[in-house]
Amino acid sequence: MKGMNGLRRYHWMVGILLLALLLTGCKTGHEFIKGTEFKDDDKIVVVFAGPVEETWATNVSNFSAYEKPDPDIKLQITEATLGPDQTTLTVTFGAPLNQGEAHILTMTNIISEGQDMGSVTVTVQKLYFGVLMTVLLGAALIQNFVFTKYLGLCVFFGTSQRRDTAIGMGVVFTIVIVFAAMMAWALYQFVLKPYQLTFLNIVVFIGLVSLSVQGVDTILRKVNPTLFKAFGVYLVLVIANCIAIAVPLMLADNEYNGWESLMLALGAGVGFLLALFLMACVRERLELANVPPSFRGLPIAFVTAGLFALAFLGFSGLSIY
Amino acid sequence: MDPVLIKIALGGVATLGCIGLFFGVGLAMAAQKFHVEPDPKVEEVLHTLAGAQ
Repeated sequence: MKGMNGLRRYHWMVGILLLALLLTGCKTGHEFIKGTEFKDDDKIVVVFAGPVEETWATNVSNFSAYEKPDPDIKLQITEATLGPDQTTLTVTFGAPLNQGEAHILTMTNIISEGQDMGSVTVTVQKLYFGVLMTVLLGAALIQNFVFTKYLGLCVFFGTSQRRDTAIGMGVVFTIVIVFAAMMAWALYQFVLKPYQLTFLNIVVFIGLVSLSVQGVDTILRKVNPTLFKAFGVYLVLVIANCIAIAVPLMLADNEYNGWESLMLALGAGVGFLLALFLMACVRERLELANVPPSFRGLPIAFVTAGLFALAFLGFSGLSIY
Repeated sequence: MDPVLIKIALGGVATLGCIGLFFGVGLAMAAQKFHVEPDPKVEEVLHTLAGAQ
């Protein structure tokens, strides 16, 4: 019961975090544009607040678009069609769009009911929440660090013998990796990159992981001794986990922003927890199974891990957003 | 040697030094703030035990 009360204290923090996450997903636009979105592979749909002239809407030269990072490369627009309600405009491009990037669409001199509404530039992008979810699921399932990248195997095999050990290790690892990844992101973006010191990435990130392990150790020892007694053993093991160094390096390589880094770290942690838990469940049952003597212990565990890796390949086609 | 490289190297040493100092002081302060008195009984019991595992 005491633990539950402790959790309740942090509920408002979680609420604010979720709210901030949802708000970042909202799009801002021009007042005459009700909404923009990608459609199919090569289309952008614009919904206007009022009816626009068909002669304006079907003239391709009224539109120009580019990907946000490359303003010089104009995308080729092959067709523009107006829906029967005269408010839905579909712009078709000559080539499939890279929908992971934000696209800037400029519409010159919009004519609505004989009136010139001026030129409008809108940003078309996937809902940011979806992008974040893709990063999270990608790190947890599709590109699971243990089963598809084969990282962190020593800790994985060392602590997956029993279920409670596995959960303890997974939870502690998730906490530490989130701390370390957020600090790594801040240091990389605001210190290492501006001063051209990116070749020191590995040194700095290893230091940060050790730092967060030590920090969590110090604080947990005082704040929650019960939790510390349960998890303290695994804290030290986190330093020996190579996922802890892979996550900062990945977020630096991919130039993730703060939210994406948070999701990557969370996904890595949850994915590791999932991998440990699944493995521990199987290994507990293997204790009772009749395994050939030469396969007992680690060998059969490696075989099991390989089977899990095969099963996780099934997630590679997963795309929700 | 190229002066630009020397500049980067010195900058790196200075930056890493600053980061290290900052976090070191932070950890030291945290350790002080969250100091826990170790229980002498635990030490004694551990010492008496065989400690093979």
